[in-house]
Amino acid sequence: MLTKVNLIEMGRAQIGEFEELVLLTVGVLYDDAYAVAIAKELEGQSGRVIAVSAVHKSLYRLEEKGMLDSRLSDPESKRGGKRKRLFNITPYGKKVLDESQSLRAKLRNQIPDLAFKFN
Amino acid sequence: MARPHNIPKIPYAFFKLYCKKDRFEEMHGDLEEYFYERVETIGMVKAKWFYTRDVLRCCQPYAWKTPHFNQNSNFVMFKNYFKTATRSALRNPLGTFINLFGLSLAIGVCVMIYAFYNQSINTDRFHENKDNVFLATIYTNRDGQMSHYGMSPMPLASHIEEEMAGIKSVCRVDYQNTIIRLNDQVFYEDIHLVDASFLEMFSFPLKWGNKASLSDVNSIILSDDIATKYFGTENALGKEVLIVFKSGEKKYYKVGGVAEAFPDGASIKFDFLINYDNIDLARKNYDPNDWSVFLNSTFIQLEDPSNVYGVQAGLSKYKELQNEVKEDWKISDFELISIHDLYLSSEGMSRVISYDRHKPGRVVLPIIGIFMLVLACLNYINMAINSVAKRLKEIGVRKVMGADKRKVMFQFLAENIIVTSFALISGLFLGIYAFIPWFEGISGDAYTINITDQLFYIFLIGLMILTGVASGLYPAFYISRFEAVKIFKGKVRLGNKGWLTKSFLGLQMILAIITITGAVLFIKNTEYQIEREWGYDQADVLYVRANSPEMYEQLMAEFDQIPGIESLSGSLDHIGRVSRSTVVERLEEKYEVSQVRVSPEYLESMGLDLKSGQFLTPELQVAAKELVVNETFVERLKMTDPLGVSIKLDGENYQIVGVVKDFHFSSFNREINPTVFSPAAKVDLRFIVAELALGQEVEVYTAVENKWDELYPEIPFDGGLQASILDSYFALITNFARFNKAVAGMAVILAMLGLYGLITLNISGRMKEFSIRKTLGAQAGHLGFLLTKEYRWLTLISVLLGAPMGFYAAKFQMNLVFAYPIPMGVEFLIIPVVILILLILLVLASQLFKVLRFSPVKGLRSE
Repeated sequence: MLTKVNLIEMGRAQIGEFEELVLLTVGVLYDDAYAVAIAKELEGQSGRVIAVSAVHKSLYRLEEKGMLDSRLSDPESKRGGKRKRLFNITPYGKKVLDESQSLRAKLRNQIPDLAFKFN
Repeated sequence: MARPHNIPKIPYAFFKLYCKKDRFEEMHGDLEEYFYERVETIGMVKAKWFYTRDVLRCCQPYAWKTPHFNQNSNFVMFKNYFKTATRSALRNPLGTFINLFGLSLAIGVCVMIYAFYNQSINTDRFHENKDNVFLATIYTNRDGQMSHYGMSPMPLASHIEEEMAGIKSVCRVDYQNTIIRLNDQVFYEDIHLVDASFLEMFSFPLKWGNKASLSDVNSIILSDDIATKYFGTENALGKEVLIVFKSGEKKYYKVGGVAEAFPDGASIKFDFLINYDNIDLARKNYDPNDWSVFLNSTFIQLEDPSNVYGVQAGLSKYKELQNEVKEDWKISDFELISIHDLYLSSEGMSRVISYDRHKPGRVVLPIIGIFMLVLACLNYINMAINSVAKRLKEIGVRKVMGADKRKVMFQFLAENIIVTSFALISGLFLGIYAFIPWFEGISGDAYTINITDQLFYIFLIGLMILTGVASGLYPAFYISRFEAVKIFKGKVRLGNKGWLTKSFLGLQMILAIITITGAVLFIKNTEYQIEREWGYDQADVLYVRANSPEMYEQLMAEFDQIPGIESLSGSLDHIGRVSRSTVVERLEEKYEVSQVRVSPEYLESMGLDLKSGQFLTPELQVAAKELVVNETFVERLKMTDPLGVSIKLDGENYQIVGVVKDFHFSSFNREINPTVFSPAAKVDLRFIVAELALGQEVEVYTAVENKWDELYPEIPFDGGLQASILDSYFALITNFARFNKAVAGMAVILAMLGLYGLITLNISGRMKEFSIRKTLGAQAGHLGFLLTKEYRWLTLISVLLGAPMGFYAAKFQMNLVFAYPIPMGVEFLIIPVVILILLILLVLASQLFKVLRFSPVKGLRSE
């Protein structure tokens, strides 16, 4: 069975594009990263319309994969007296982000200049 | 968690339904946050809408409540139930077999009945236009009784088409028996003359050719069967067929189309279709405006089926037109019947294009199905209750471990559902691969179960739940009531429920005896029907039908030369084949009777029994105006001294000169009609009736047939031995008997298996007792006495109750099917009882044998 550790060692942490965005946004929002805020932040930054259900789905998956940690906040009146789940990035989450970024950068740097000559 | 203010109710409830408890707060908090924000920005209505959308979007696996199969205690419990069920089933293989076998048998029968019923109900309902195509039917007053007919006056169709609104199209249908000639082959075949709209109204798709060819008066459309019969697999399009109509006219037709095979549930069918305009060839003196003539059927397609009552009311204006010209057949009412309903309403109708043959089956079969189910369920109940002794400890342990009454009940019900679902599967196979083909063989129809038929699955599930609960509920209830403490103290008394088990067994015996009575009665009745006097001497009579006076004369002359023929006579109608339905009048009263027009010698050749008076006077023929009538006629007209009485027939006065004893005109399930024999003119005679020397029937028959073929190769031979005229009827009733025998066989097997299982259980619990008795010197007779003790009274009571019930049930069924059933003597009370008791003794004897062979040492040693 594949465990978290195995995945890291294999260097093949599975993470989708949207999940990566959510993971990054959690980092950006730092202490107030919960679904609604993330969705709004993403909407603001990317200009895409983001459904909160999609954010939920990614958050829970990332938590399952161990890239996020979470805790419950205090109840808030704007939420009908309900608590919210606040997420923060785990070290493993950071590692995945770094790897992903360095992989992209590595690949980006290997593109010969010729490939970008478009005329 | 109360629903927060303003949040839409239904989506909220839905969200609560699917959402995991531990994610509910945070997720719904998110949705609420959005909601309140949106109320501010875009208004309440839109916010609610968006909330609903969000709820639906969130309905994804990550949010769902997860049934944790592996940890769920219910699942573990159920697994355990399954395990114990299989174990206890395997520990008692005989009982399991009896249960499974019985239930499968019953379910198989039910599946068969479903197939039959479904098809019967849905006959002719495959037509797309079934709801807006109607058959015009008529009511007339016959002898003071309203009779319903499926025919209609000839000009009706054209009048409707021209004068009435809301009619999409009209189709006239007329059929007759004609001679079909193709190359060297000649056959008698039924052809349908129909308007071109026929193929539009009815969903009979064509395999080859096109529907438009029906508009062509020179082309003909064949059914799939007929195309195969005449042309094999070859494409028949363009082939030529000669039709010789009843009128004597001949015409060649070119095959313009071949229909696809008819669906199983088709009652309205055809062999050959030709355009209706050929009617002036088919019918002599055809006059399209003659209201006194009837056409076989008129179909009307309405634009809007809800308008049917309006159209029907509009038809009444044609009554007058008809009543003026047809005094003796005045129409009192029209009724339009849709194709959807026609088959099921055709039972009370005469001369109708579709004919409901399934009525007795629809009454009797469900009863049989219920019988079988009850028998099988009773077996199950009895076995379950009697095997409880073996499972007391298990129940005790379960109860100690915290199972309450409901849990134990549920366990036993679940066990039962497991057994039933196995039975369902095997019953389904049994039904589809054994019972349905068997029943098809008996009924001569094809019954298919459509895999896409949702109703069938509902039926199966319903059947499973019904049998599962019916057979399992009581044992589960009974078993779950034992108290754990008493079980372990050994204080449970099992015997006190014996009366219930016994009454169940008694009920089974009653059901068995009812079916046995049915079978015995039907078998005896079949013998009785075959032996039954026909009312005339059918054994030495051969008949042949000529097509024309010349042919009649020629055949008469030729047959005179054939050795073995003792006498010859002629007739226009013939007993067993044709009679004319007509009306006679006496003292201002009208009576519908059958008329058989004959030559004077006919009555004697047929061997009719003269009761009083004399036969028709020879040689005087028509001029004599004499009548010979049957007993029913005398009875119906309430005459005390019929001889010499004057009767008005066809507007002329006839005198009754003789009365013959009642005879069966055709099959015995038709009631005997009042019948008159009247003299026929010599030129009208068509049937030749030959009295044969005994023992030479076959040779003479062959000689006659050869002579015919030699003289008229272009006309199919039409004739036969009078004695074989009822062959199809006898085949039918033999099949009835076969069916009843099989049903009784199954019921008896079920009941006997139940009895066998019970006794086996009973004995295995008493082995120690028997061992002691044996060591102390008990003899076979004594042991047998002990063994039968419990069942003696039971059998007696069941027999006393069951035999009369079976008697009346069988009588009911018999009267439903037969007009002249076997007289029910006391032997039908006794024979079934004897059979049942013999079978019970057989079962007991087999067990007694087991006890006798059993070594008492073993019984005493085991603890």
